[in-house]
Amino acid sequence: MNRKIRVLMAKVGLDGHDRGALVITMALRDAGMEVIYTGLHQSPAQIARIAIQEAVDVVGISSLVDAHMTFIPQVLKEFKKLNIEMPIILGGFIQPEDIKELKDIGVNEVFGINTRLDEIVEYIKNLAARKQDSSLTY
Amino acid sequence: MDKELEKAFSAWKERYKEEFKKERKPEAEFLSEAGIPFKRVYTPLDLEEKNFNYINDLGLPGDFPYTRGRTPIEFRGEPWAQSLYSGYGSPAESNALWKEAFKTGVETIYIAYDLPTQLGLDPGQPMTHGEVGRIGVSMTTQRDWEVAFDGIDMNRVRISHVPNAVAAFQMANLICLAEKKGANLNRLQGHCHNDILKEYTVRGNYIFPPDPSMRLTIDVVSYCRKVLPQYLTLSVTGLHFSEAQSTTIHEAAFMLADLFCYLEEALKRGLDIDDIAPCVELSTQIDHYTFFEEIAKHRAIRRLYARVMKERFNAKKPESLKARIGASQGGNSLQKKQYLNNIGRTAVAAVAATLAGVERLSIRPYDEQYGIPTKEAMMTATRLKYVVTKETDLLDTVDPLGGSYFIEWLTSEFEERISREIATIEQQGGALKCVENGYIKQMLIQDAYAWQKDFESGKKIRVGNNYATTEEQEKPTRVYRTDPKVEQERIDAVQDVKRWRNNEKVKKCLDEIKRVAALPASEENNLMPYIMEAVKCYATNGEVAGVLKEVWGEYSPASIF
Repeated sequence: MNRKIRVLMAKVGLDGHDRGALVITMALRDAGMEVIYTGLHQSPAQIARIAIQEAVDVVGISSLVDAHMTFIPQVLKEFKKLNIEMPIILGGFIQPEDIKELKDIGVNEVFGINTRLDEIVEYIKNLAARKQDSSLTY
Repeated sequence: MDKELEKAFSAWKERYKEEFKKERKPEAEFLSEAGIPFKRVYTPLDLEEKNFNYINDLGLPGDFPYTRGRTPIEFRGEPWAQSLYSGYGSPAESNALWKEAFKTGVETIYIAYDLPTQLGLDPGQPMTHGEVGRIGVSMTTQRDWEVAFDGIDMNRVRISHVPNAVAAFQMANLICLAEKKGANLNRLQGHCHNDILKEYTVRGNYIFPPDPSMRLTIDVVSYCRKVLPQYLTLSVTGLHFSEAQSTTIHEAAFMLADLFCYLEEALKRGLDIDDIAPCVELSTQIDHYTFFEEIAKHRAIRRLYARVMKERFNAKKPESLKARIGASQGGNSLQKKQYLNNIGRTAVAAVAATLAGVERLSIRPYDEQYGIPTKEAMMTATRLKYVVTKETDLLDTVDPLGGSYFIEWLTSEFEERISREIATIEQQGGALKCVENGYIKQMLIQDAYAWQKDFESGKKIRVGNNYATTEEQEKPTRVYRTDPKVEQERIDAVQDVKRWRNNEKVKKCLDEIKRVAALPASEENNLMPYIMEAVKCYATNGEVAGVLKEVWGEYSPASIF
């Protein structure tokens, strides 16, 4: 794998909490990845557009105001519209009872407020490696 | 120098040097959270090092520089006031919650708004889907205020809120409702988070670009000081910096730098510092894990504030020199795992707040890490006040730690470090410039990342998380989540208001706001009277924000990352 892993770190909706997104951005960069941070208050359509423009391998979405059950399906729909299969990771303040449904509709993984940085780094490395491998076989 | 003590101290160090080797970590690793080396023991020699002078640096309680407190009696009079940041999805639900809270002794309604409200958006506007009533109450019209305060005597409680970007709209709503209910405006109390600068750097709830936002901030303060003389309309916050895991030094410095920026703006407008200072409240954070730092931080803030108000801003009235401090425990100090431990954490924080001498304290409910707190957890937080203030002897002596070699050394250390950080900001042109150039944001990211690494390496301990952990998942029996039906109800409520109000009058009011907003900021062009008129006609906050956006545009931050 020659190319650096590219990650989009995204904030969707009105949520203003960005500490988690920024700390994870730092950790992923320290692990050698290229991370594009969207800034606050993005719409689902904007997330999909930036992800494609920036040719990222993975999209990480940070949510701390309990609005994810509304906007995650919208984000997935935007990617579907564009016919793009994009791995999506959700992190932040997520009620445990939501996790199964989120994974059922297509979120790859859900990390909570207690997840360690190295765990997230490792997960993304594996996910991106799998994605790049599978694209080679086509 | 105290030669005799110096000699004795050297001999003591020599005599016990083998004992010191038994300490649980190397000497250089005894650091406070903010990175201040904590010594083994403090003596009068440490105060000599700081050129400590009792009269200059401490004074008596109620005397300049107010290190020991704003009043000569402190908690021998009344203990700190308890506030509980709360709000459920709809105005009616919140009304019921607040009425119940009064029964258990809550003295302040501390309104938590949902995000659309904080961003000047009405339910149903773009971007609001899924967010209405989610993290607080949705209150965007005067009708919502009538419902939320139905049956509540506005003179019998303090009414506080966190509107920031929409402070002008929500203060107009508050005044309008109080007038209608026949409340005595001269006695109306509470505080209003009217601090837009930290929204750009840490909290993220901004609408307009900084210049017009600063204008609105000063419009609110200037208008309300005449109408609501007892109400604190310039509550400036440090706590959000701490919530983002900044050091206590950065918290205090960024808060004060923001405040000085507002004061300069008010002076430019021609206002008198002695008229503005009584409107100021500092909203700080208190955490259990920075116990001694918190006590020193608050004492240093009082001293620094008094000195700056006197020397830099030439305030003349003693009242203008006394920092008024309302503290909140940080939500980030509570843990999700083994959540009942949080009651212990809140108790330690409440003791720190008492020893620090704050005027107001907001204690966190123990289950907040699971969502909007349950009533049970809110009531436990309320009763914690009584445990601390009624069962203990903590209140009976003013500034009981004053004179401790350690506390006085640390207080001086804090004052020096906070002053240095403020100077760094002022050298770059002040807090507003440091929003634009990204300095404050960069410092916050560095602090948060450093903390996270220390936590994950086990240097910082959180019981249940990286110490004394358990396997089983604990969970409170009930978690409050906003009913998804609330959103449609709220959309309908706004539509309903638009049906029965006089729409022609509303349009006239909005046109007037638009006209005045285009004029330069000044006392004559204060927008508050115009916003009051609009609110009286049941214009929605979304409509008022809408016309202001047409004139001022919206803020989009420069990419710093």
